[in-house]
Amino acid sequence: MAAAGPSVFLLMVNGQVESAQFPEYDDLYCKYCFVYGQDWAPTAGLEEGISQITSKSQDVRQALVWNFPIDVTFKSTNPYGWPQIVLSVYGPDVFGNDVVRGYGAVHLPFSPGRHKRTIPMFVPESTSKLQKFTSWFMGRRPEYTDPKVVAQGEGREGENAEAERLKAAQLMLPFSSQ
Amino acid sequence: MVSENPHLGNQPEPLQEDSDTRPLSMTTRRGPRSLPPIPSASRTGFAEFSMRERMREKLQAARSKAESTLLQEIPTPRPRRLQSPGEKELETEFGAEPGEEAQKTQQEDDSQSRSRVKFRDSVRKIKTKPPVPPGFPSAEEAYNFFTFNFDPEPEESEEKPKAKNRDGTTQEEEEGEEEEPPVQGIHKTDEQLLISATEAEAFLWGLDHAAADFVAVRPADYESAHVRLQMEKELLFVPSRLTVPTYKKLPENVQPRYLEDEGLYIGTRPDVPRTCQNIMENRLLTQEPGRRWFGDDGRIVALPNPIKPFPSRPPVLTQEQDFRAELETLYKKAVKYVHRSQHMIGSGDSPGNFQLDIDISGLIFTHHPCFSREHVLAAKLAQLYDQYLARHQRNKAKFLTDKLQALRNAVQTGLNPEKTHKSLDTTQKTINEYKSEIRQTRKLRDAEQEKDRMLLKTIIKVWKEMKSLREFQRFTNTPLKLVLRKEKVDQKADEEAYEAEIQAEISELLEEHMEEHEQKMEAYRAAYQQWKAWKKAQRAKKKKKKQAVEEHPEEEMGEPYPEEDPVKPVPPEPTDRALMEHQVRERAARSRRRPGEPLLVPELSLAGSVTPNEQCPRVEVLRREDVKRRSIYLKVIFNDKEVSRTDSRPLGADFRVHFGQIFNLQIFNWPESLTLQVYETVGHSGTTLLAEVFLPIPETTIVTGRAPIEEVEFSSNQHVTLDHEGVGSGMPFSFEADGSNQLILMTSGKVSNSVAWAIGENGIPLIPPLSQQNIGFRSTTPSSSVHVVANGRIPPFLCALKRADAISSIGTSGLTDLKKLAKWAAESKLDPNDPNNAPLMQLISVATSGESYVPDFFRLEQLQQEFNFVSDEELNRSKRFRLLCLRSQEVPEFRNYKQIPAYDREIMEKVFQDYEKWLRDRNVIETKDHIDPHRAMVAKYLQQVRESVINRFLIAKHHFLLSDLIVEEEVPNISSEGSGILGLSLFKLAEQKRPLRPRRKGRKKVTAQNLSDGDIKVLVNIIRAYDIPVRKPTASKFQQPSRSSRTFSEKHAASPTTHSPTHSADYPLGQVLVRPFVEVSFQRTICHTTTAEGPNPSWNEELELPFRAPNGDYSTSSLQSVKDDVFINIFDEVLYDVLEDDRERGSGIHTRIERHWLGCVKIPFSTIYFQAKIDGTFKIDIPPVLLGYSKERSMIIERGFDSVRSLSEGSYITLFITMEPQLVPGESVREKMSDVLKKFDSQEDEKLLQATEKFQAECALKFPHRQCLTTVTDISGKTVFITRYLKPLNPPQELLEGCPNNPQATAELVARYVSLIPFLPDAVSFAGICDLWSTSDQFLDLLAGDEEEHAVLLCNYFLSLGKKAWLVMGSAIPEGPTAYVLTREQSHYLIWNPCSGHFYGQFDTFCPLKSVGCLIGPDNIWFNIQRHDSPLRINFDVTKPKLWKSFFSRSLLYPGLSSVQPEELIYQRTDKAAAAELQDRIEKILKEKIMDWRPRHLTRWNRYCTSALRHFLPLLERSRGEDVEDDHRGELLKQLGDYRFSGFPLHMPYSELKPLIEAVYSTGVHNIDVPNVEFALAVYIHPYPKNVLSVWIYVASLIRNR
Repeated sequence: MAAAGPSVFLLMVNGQVESAQFPEYDDLYCKYCFVYGQDWAPTAGLEEGISQITSKSQDVRQALVWNFPIDVTFKSTNPYGWPQIVLSVYGPDVFGNDVVRGYGAVHLPFSPGRHKRTIPMFVPESTSKLQKFTSWFMGRRPEYTDPKVVAQGEGREGENAEAERLKAAQLMLPFSSQ
Repeated sequence: MVSENPHLGNQPEPLQEDSDTRPLSMTTRRGPRSLPPIPSASRTGFAEFSMRERMREKLQAARSKAESTLLQEIPTPRPRRLQSPGEKELETEFGAEPGEEAQKTQQEDDSQSRSRVKFRDSVRKIKTKPPVPPGFPSAEEAYNFFTFNFDPEPEESEEKPKAKNRDGTTQEEEEGEEEEPPVQGIHKTDEQLLISATEAEAFLWGLDHAAADFVAVRPADYESAHVRLQMEKELLFVPSRLTVPTYKKLPENVQPRYLEDEGLYIGTRPDVPRTCQNIMENRLLTQEPGRRWFGDDGRIVALPNPIKPFPSRPPVLTQEQDFRAELETLYKKAVKYVHRSQHMIGSGDSPGNFQLDIDISGLIFTHHPCFSREHVLAAKLAQLYDQYLARHQRNKAKFLTDKLQALRNAVQTGLNPEKTHKSLDTTQKTINEYKSEIRQTRKLRDAEQEKDRMLLKTIIKVWKEMKSLREFQRFTNTPLKLVLRKEKVDQKADEEAYEAEIQAEISELLEEHMEEHEQKMEAYRAAYQQWKAWKKAQRAKKKKKKQAVEEHPEEEMGEPYPEEDPVKPVPPEPTDRALMEHQVRERAARSRRRPGEPLLVPELSLAGSVTPNEQCPRVEVLRREDVKRRSIYLKVIFNDKEVSRTDSRPLGADFRVHFGQIFNLQIFNWPESLTLQVYETVGHSGTTLLAEVFLPIPETTIVTGRAPIEEVEFSSNQHVTLDHEGVGSGMPFSFEADGSNQLILMTSGKVSNSVAWAIGENGIPLIPPLSQQNIGFRSTTPSSSVHVVANGRIPPFLCALKRADAISSIGTSGLTDLKKLAKWAAESKLDPNDPNNAPLMQLISVATSGESYVPDFFRLEQLQQEFNFVSDEELNRSKRFRLLCLRSQEVPEFRNYKQIPAYDREIMEKVFQDYEKWLRDRNVIETKDHIDPHRAMVAKYLQQVRESVINRFLIAKHHFLLSDLIVEEEVPNISSEGSGILGLSLFKLAEQKRPLRPRRKGRKKVTAQNLSDGDIKVLVNIIRAYDIPVRKPTASKFQQPSRSSRTFSEKHAASPTTHSPTHSADYPLGQVLVRPFVEVSFQRTICHTTTAEGPNPSWNEELELPFRAPNGDYSTSSLQSVKDDVFINIFDEVLYDVLEDDRERGSGIHTRIERHWLGCVKIPFSTIYFQAKIDGTFKIDIPPVLLGYSKERSMIIERGFDSVRSLSEGSYITLFITMEPQLVPGESVREKMSDVLKKFDSQEDEKLLQATEKFQAECALKFPHRQCLTTVTDISGKTVFITRYLKPLNPPQELLEGCPNNPQATAELVARYVSLIPFLPDAVSFAGICDLWSTSDQFLDLLAGDEEEHAVLLCNYFLSLGKKAWLVMGSAIPEGPTAYVLTREQSHYLIWNPCSGHFYGQFDTFCPLKSVGCLIGPDNIWFNIQRHDSPLRINFDVTKPKLWKSFFSRSLLYPGLSSVQPEELIYQRTDKAAAAELQDRIEKILKEKIMDWRPRHLTRWNRYCTSALRHFLPLLERSRGEDVEDDHRGELLKQLGDYRFSGFPLHMPYSELKPLIEAVYSTGVHNIDVPNVEFALAVYIHPYPKNVLSVWIYVASLIRNR
């Protein structure tokens, strides 16, 4: 414990966004970022990342494999506000517009070791059928002002979301304290 | 080789020795290894051979050492001769020969070879083991024989015979042969080679050699399965699968015990296959002889099966599962919700028919309104008689008497110690106990006897009363008759017994008293002793005193006696026997039958006759008739529902009703309540509910046929008065003639009934299952296990119960009460080991261990206590918890507290100190920070208003709109202009994705919610400046300015005035006039541009300043309340040559850079935030006096822009300011608020409000971007029509007197006064929630407001000055939407900026007002419907309806709205002394600050200069900062001629200290680090009425010229 600051513990995460299953879509890429509480601060590694575009595998699984590495270290004094990884997946629609295909968030694992997480992804739905059509037609689907809101509870009451597919992110997390 | 020769002689001997053993070995071994006796030995040359032999020998020596059996291995040459495939392989290594010698020498190393040999030996040992099949040697020979032929060498044939007889020959022969002179050199060498090759290999690969050796010689190795099995048998152990006989597993001569058979409970064993068990048993038996693994029954000891019957976790979904399956919605048929309370039978239970039999046999009234007096007495008598009978049956008195007798006997026997064998102590103790018990019993007996007697007496008394009543009324109503039967007693015996009893009692009492007396005497004696001692002491004292008194008689009186005088104890009186006897007798007489008195036995009979009606008086007849009219019936209410009713039966004369009905209630639900309602019908009139009788629900054991008839009492509180003999109910009546001794009786009675469960056809009682009935059971055990007999399924534990007959002992209902059950189990001493009882015992153990304790109250979070890891007090004491709480409550101090420490000890106490201080002081007005008490109060008030407003909208802040979270295309709307027609937007689709000429797209706006430090930047683009003041050359320092006096008309005349460019000639051509640069400071971050040259510089630079929100809170409300300003300072960079020696000028440059502040532009952050961008040319706020600089412009400029420029004074800078990313200003909050605001009521006329809405809608339709304001919110939140704010109001008299005959000067003075009131935007004070307008008096009281308040006040002043004035709502730079004041002079319009006090002509290009939305006068509103909205291009003539749309017109006449403004403004004169004090304090604080800012330098103050400045400042105030510069400069120069002086006065309204400090700081005066610099600072405060203060600060730095 340093005299200067309060004693902290470290949370080291490394892992990868492995693959996704979006059976209807192809050529997707993925962004990740972290949402954490006030007591948390990243100390090393990248807090945000954007992956390459991947194509569907040709086999039956039709998996979209990124194997996109994540490596970040947080320090904190308080487990409250445990970091969540927020993933958002984008890809082109029929007209070639880049639209969002899914948002999802999951807490980082609490225990050290190798964890595999499957995150259900969803996208917000248009508020009306007409808007749904126009947004589809214009290629401007409703999306969150910030992907980070999916990790927050505030203000989510009125929103419709269409639950979409699954996606696997594998996280390994050596965990160390102090 | 040669070297080895000498050894040769020695070789044979050891060989000899070896050879002796050889035949042995040959016979024993005979493995395939030792194949043929090969003649090759003969072939080998001697030397080589011997050498080889030597090696072999050595090996053999080692071998012999190890094991004699292995020695036979020696047959060195032979194997080599063999042309086995292995050998052939080796032959290929002929080439290795040259290395052989070296190898051999190496071989000398014994240890090496030995170790190798050893290994080989061990290998061999294993290999030799297998037995040789018989007849093998012959085969061997045959093999040999054939192989010889294959040898290509001719020499071999020679050796053949040798080989042939080899077996027969002795070893000596062989040796001899071998020692033959080597003839066949080559062959020998061949052989040698062969050997050496193998040898070499062996040496090289120590291990491989051995292996190769063996492998080489052996044919395929075969071991028959049988042999292998044999072998394995020795090594391995295979436990048998057969069952082990029990006797093996038990110690000798022990019979197996089966605990289960003995009735002990043993758990279920885990399921293990029999074979596995057998194997294990066998293994255990062989492994360890100990039998500890086997239990008494001969089986392996095992714990009960640990496997739970049900999995405790839900099954985990496998990853591979199809995701569709997980997302799929399953349809489930709607299940009717079954209310699982005890009213219903669970869905799982069979819905049986349960039956409750209610037998109502009759009803007896113990009181009824129709009772006559006699009836009352009769009822009483009957009651008493019943009581008597009951007592008689019990006969308690007799029992107690007997007990007493027995006790007495016991005492008697106990007193004779010889009769008992007990020790004295115990007897004494028991006797004492007996005695006390005797006392007790006696008392009880006496009481009982007395009661008996009393009862008897009462019965007799009542009977007598009744008799007298009957006599009195001369008729009888009741057949009741009491007969007292006398039982004769033997008087003598009775008397004796009586006497004996009394005597015994007396003696006992005496004894008691004696004891008591003893004790008392004891106490007395002790007390007496004490008293005596005291008395003695007292006497002695007195004596002394007496003597003393004699000596000093006068003192006698003064001597007080000791206060406490112990009373002389009185000895207790001895008991008087006679007295006691008297007492005892008296008591006996009272409570006991006198001796000889006959025993009285009352008998009540109904033998009496009732007087017939005709003999009765009329009232009685009436009563009887009334009784006859009455009939009674009962309703049976089950679970609050009427299920049946009895027949209506007439009330008999004896007030008994017989029903005799049995109701069979077929029930479905568990009975909650069972009630009988007694109804009475009088004649044909309606029925009345007399009373309700609550019947107990029978226990489950009570079934029909066994149920006893019970009498349940009831009573009603009805009040009935009757007009006949009936006494009524609830009415006082009396038996006495005088009406005394009144009685009040209520209707009451008894219902005799029996309630029982019916028995079904097969003898099963029809009782609903217990599960419905018991909550406790349900919570502890699965309810399925508690289904009862009725269901046919009998749970195991109930079977157990049956066997143990628990039901019969505690009743079936006892099963429901676990406590009772446990108690019963404890009492009946159930065998806990009995397997039959196992489930029951388990149940009981669960029940009695607190786990399933069923509380009789409901608690919401019943496990809360368990989860409370710490007590509440301790939790509250925790600093960390407190910090977390405060943060989550969003207390401003902690709202964005980062990294709350993990431990309490790491939290500093001072974290809370500020907060606690704030909590304490929130209502205390702090004058320290504000210096001026009035402003402190105002600040406090504002703070409080703000707090309350903020608290009200904290919720709103947390409420997000959908648009805050989701970006979505707007709904395509045909009418709306924004998103366009649907078709139009579709048309847009056809546009190119990337047009060749892209149009600028609006920046994306960011909602300030996910931002953090460093995300937001303020971009300041500094483009150019005009008319920067230029340095005045020192040469012209005594020059008088040309424009010493300008008139007002000069300023505003449209025609250009001539500024005589007299000074332009003074500037030497080519000399740099000024080198300005711009420094932007924001939140103490400073950026500056490069230095440009000349008075009209062009920088065109972008500066980027990071923005930090207060406390890191980037929420909208927080951003709105940022009060920081962006300071844009213009400096002049001055280079001074400090080179002292001119000779060095050639070699070096030594300059000092100084910067002189020229002026600044201040833009509040809130303006940038709300405007998103600020673009325009601003007037630089240049101090009125800039020493060393002059505001002259060169001819060229004047020529170029004369017509427009000449009007405007001062310097200008063109700026573009914005924020990156663009933040959405808090509009959303306002929108949310509009709902709330609408709730604030308005006092305006409804029609007017509708008109305003209509007007606004119309205006918005035409010009959506023009500001149109009709109603505003006042400070209390009410909507007010805007014109009500405008009303002529008197300005301070002081200002009017200033220049009485110059209206324009007065106007300017007034404008200046208004501008001196500090500016505080509403957005800051109310965090952007709403725009509140305060009236002018409120504004003056608060001394803070934004543009509207300033403008309203100024407009009102102008109106009172008699000008035509309007409020202009429009937008200006940098303020954005704002309010200005328009006045009409004789021929032209003037636009006043109320916040700065400046005014502009209508056609002034530098007028900050850029667009005009509407004009507001005191009686109308005009909306600008002209094409343009720039003041330059519009016509202000409001009378033209084509240009101005007026609110009140002919269609809607002005209703004459009263003003919200006060009648008159009252101005207090500001306390001059206070102002002076404030002035001193500010000066002191500023000086301290400047010294603080220069931590590394000495700050000297030039007092002389300071005083000079101080004198100058009032002058400046008087002239309002104009036209004094040159005089002042001259004066200063006169006084401080040898100083280089740079400085300037700052002027601003006073609100708080902080802006002053900021302003001084931003000028950068303190940045001079010339060593001998001196400073001067003077502050002057000019007080205006109403505490408006004008502050002047003169800061200067002086450098002494050398």
